[in-house]
Amino acid sequence: MTSALEIAELHGWYGDSKALHGMEFEIGRGEVVTLLGRNGAGKTTTLRAIMGLLRKKSGQIRFRGEDIAGRMPEYVARRGIAYCPEERGIFSSLTVEENLLLPPVVAEGGLPLADILDLFPNLAERRASQGTKLSGGEQQMLAIARILRTGATLLLLDEPTEGLAPVIVRQIGTVIARLKERGFTVLLVEQNFRFAARLADRHYIVEHGRVVDRIAANDVAGSLDRIEAYLKV
Amino acid sequence: MFELIGISPTLLFGQLLIGLINGVFYAMMSLGVAIIFGMLRIGNFVHGAQYMLGAFGAWYLLHLPDFFPGLGLPSLGYWWALAIVPFFVALIGAGMERLFIRRVYDLEHAYGLLLTVGLAMVIEGLFNVAYGAGGQQYAIPDSLKGGVNLGFMFLPIYRLWVIVAGILVCFATWFVIERTKLGAYLRAATENPDLVRAFGINVPRMLMLTYAFGVGLAGLAGVMAAPIYQVSPQMGQAFIITIFAVVVIGGMGSIFGAIATGLMLGLIEGLTKVFWPQAAATVIFVIMAIVLVLRPAGLFGKETVAYHGSDISAARPGSILENGRLWLIVFAVAGTILPFFVYPVFGMKILCLALFACAYNLIFGYVGLLAFGHAAFYGASAYVAAHSAAVLGLPTELAILSGVAMATAIGALFGWLAIRRQGLYFAMITLALAQIVYFYAIQASWTHGEDGIQSVPRGRLFGLVDLNDTMNMYFFVLAVFLIGFAAIYRIVRSPFGQVLKSIRENEQRAVSLGYSTDRFKLIAFTLSAGLAGLAGGTKAIVFQIASLADLYFMTSADALLMTLIGGVGTLLGPVVGAIVVVTMQTQFATLGAWVIVVQGSTFVLCVLFLRKGIVGTFEDFLASREERRRRQAAKVEPAASAGLSAKGLHG
Repeated sequence: MTSALEIAELHGWYGDSKALHGMEFEIGRGEVVTLLGRNGAGKTTTLRAIMGLLRKKSGQIRFRGEDIAGRMPEYVARRGIAYCPEERGIFSSLTVEENLLLPPVVAEGGLPLADILDLFPNLAERRASQGTKLSGGEQQMLAIARILRTGATLLLLDEPTEGLAPVIVRQIGTVIARLKERGFTVLLVEQNFRFAARLADRHYIVEHGRVVDRIAANDVAGSLDRIEAYLKV
Repeated sequence: MFELIGISPTLLFGQLLIGLINGVFYAMMSLGVAIIFGMLRIGNFVHGAQYMLGAFGAWYLLHLPDFFPGLGLPSLGYWWALAIVPFFVALIGAGMERLFIRRVYDLEHAYGLLLTVGLAMVIEGLFNVAYGAGGQQYAIPDSLKGGVNLGFMFLPIYRLWVIVAGILVCFATWFVIERTKLGAYLRAATENPDLVRAFGINVPRMLMLTYAFGVGLAGLAGVMAAPIYQVSPQMGQAFIITIFAVVVIGGMGSIFGAIATGLMLGLIEGLTKVFWPQAAATVIFVIMAIVLVLRPAGLFGKETVAYHGSDISAARPGSILENGRLWLIVFAVAGTILPFFVYPVFGMKILCLALFACAYNLIFGYVGLLAFGHAAFYGASAYVAAHSAAVLGLPTELAILSGVAMATAIGALFGWLAIRRQGLYFAMITLALAQIVYFYAIQASWTHGEDGIQSVPRGRLFGLVDLNDTMNMYFFVLAVFLIGFAAIYRIVRSPFGQVLKSIRENEQRAVSLGYSTDRFKLIAFTLSAGLAGLAGGTKAIVFQIASLADLYFMTSADALLMTLIGGVGTLLGPVVGAIVVVTMQTQFATLGAWVIVVQGSTFVLCVLFLRKGIVGTFEDFLASREERRRRQAAKVEPAASAGLSAKGLHG
């Protein structure tokens, strides 16, 4: 399988404090892979580093063979990586529709708008509302929906289930499963292991800014104690 | 009906028309300032100079053959100017963004403000050198000459054109921002530029184009203004302060609000000219004060609170440079020796301005509030002290104290109004409020307009010491400075001062700890104003004059400059800054018209290269030296303990 993303020896800093201490992992095309770990382990920082939003870093980030570690966010986005941040990033001065259509199309092959609205029927009803007037679950849907039509092939989803009701979490799970069917590659940051376990091909455990363990989907059943130990507070 | 209220319709409608035209310019300008502030978080003080560039651009095009006689260039008239000049002014704006403004995006608002103040001074200063303060005439184009008689008034066609075209431009801008895809990018980038970049949009370039667009709008306003107002280097200088007030009144985050507020304020100003001409210059600033009381977010604004936790202080706690007791002694000794080596008047100037800068540092450096109107306190105190001494015949010490009382009272009032907003708005508000005092001093009779209050008697201190003796005067000023310095040191070291610093570092956290931060801010602001008044009143006695220059916004900018050059939030910074600035001013006094250009360049250079100030930079040096020593000590220690344990083994 050809790789979509390879991270090697990735170190990153916020000012003087070091957040990433040699991250290493890879994702194959069409895979769903999760980064699991406690708060402050460096998961979000890894996503920000991939997007080019973390400026102070060293190491390699290869996307489809090209090293993008030194690139600006706008370049990274145009290569076909899309980012859905943890705080969702819905713009309050834009309507739902404007939010949805904001990210420019960077390549062919994105989901047509009709398919997106099919996945997220709520959004169609509320297209004229102010973006931040949506409920938390709807905002999360919108945040995912708007990066699907751009033609990006690798989606970085930062804790899409955080703080949402179980019924919404299930819905998001369904959406990610359908995205995988459609050939999207997904890097999922999660603390909710039960949610991630059903979706991912592979899990990486992140601690102190590096990957400390790797668990394939079919090993999960036998490794529950180990995973529990990693994630318990 | 008009006869009933004693106003002729011609006068009323004439003034309303003028008001509407001013309103169109307010709208176009505040639109640009609001867009630039919203997107770039820069208070574009240079907007007035860019407007002036537009007017001069039109004038240049008209006189092309005179400037380049050999090239056979045609004289390009109004319509050409309207098409070409805004584009060129926008291009200049893009260049300025690229070279200067881009460097301060991530910094405290103070740097952006000082940088743009400096750029405005350089541009306006250069034009002043070239063309003097006098205005150039720009004729109304032939196609727009003449007028329509409406029966009750005569409406010149050019003015009608300005109103229609200006309003159209404003609403076209509104449409682009609120209703198009490009506008959606702009609005989104205002909220979260990083995320918009992560969607693949080149936000830095968009910021440059936004700045250029706002500046181009100012250029367009300049071209349209050329046939109405005189084309002069100063035409945008005071204008920009009014524009800031309009932006505050309109409120943040509403494009429509900026347009409506501009037009409305122009009309109100016109009406004021009819019914109460003396108040016309200040009515906008007074309305701003009222709006702040009733609706702090502004008429169309959506938000007031923008806490930010950036620490601007260059001080290092525990450093020898922060030991006020030590430095009080050093200053007392050095101050005593000084007049035997330098001209005492020079020394007194430094002492007065050092106290002024220390007072300013109390609010800006220790509380983190970007005040930009301290000239009001300094100048008001100077005027009151001068009046008390010269006209009322009060003894010197009482004259100065009455000045301090006035400054404190004004400070409490302005502070009460201004603390409703944060960040750059705080700066705009204090600036606009200070402008009320300035205009008052121009119009009131006891302040003697342009002359100021001259020949203020120095008198006798407590009826005993003759202050006409320069040395006596000097030591009095030294004592005043030392008292002020000690008071400020005492304030910032007290538990009250600790709360002030916590507000500077993280106001939200201070609030959540249960401090009523607004009250602390108000007390600090009032104290700062009173101490600035002490400096101003003393200055009026020393130099025996109170003048409009003391109240002009440049005096506020000087306070900020001295604090920045020295080191914001450091104990010694303002004193060092005052020494540097006064020395520079004395050296540059021979430069004539160039002095503004040099001063403006100093502002720009300081922001670009000396951000931590002299004391702050020295503090960094001390810190890194200490760090080196500690590391060396740490290296030596394990070696020593290893030796010890080896000994222990053998023993």
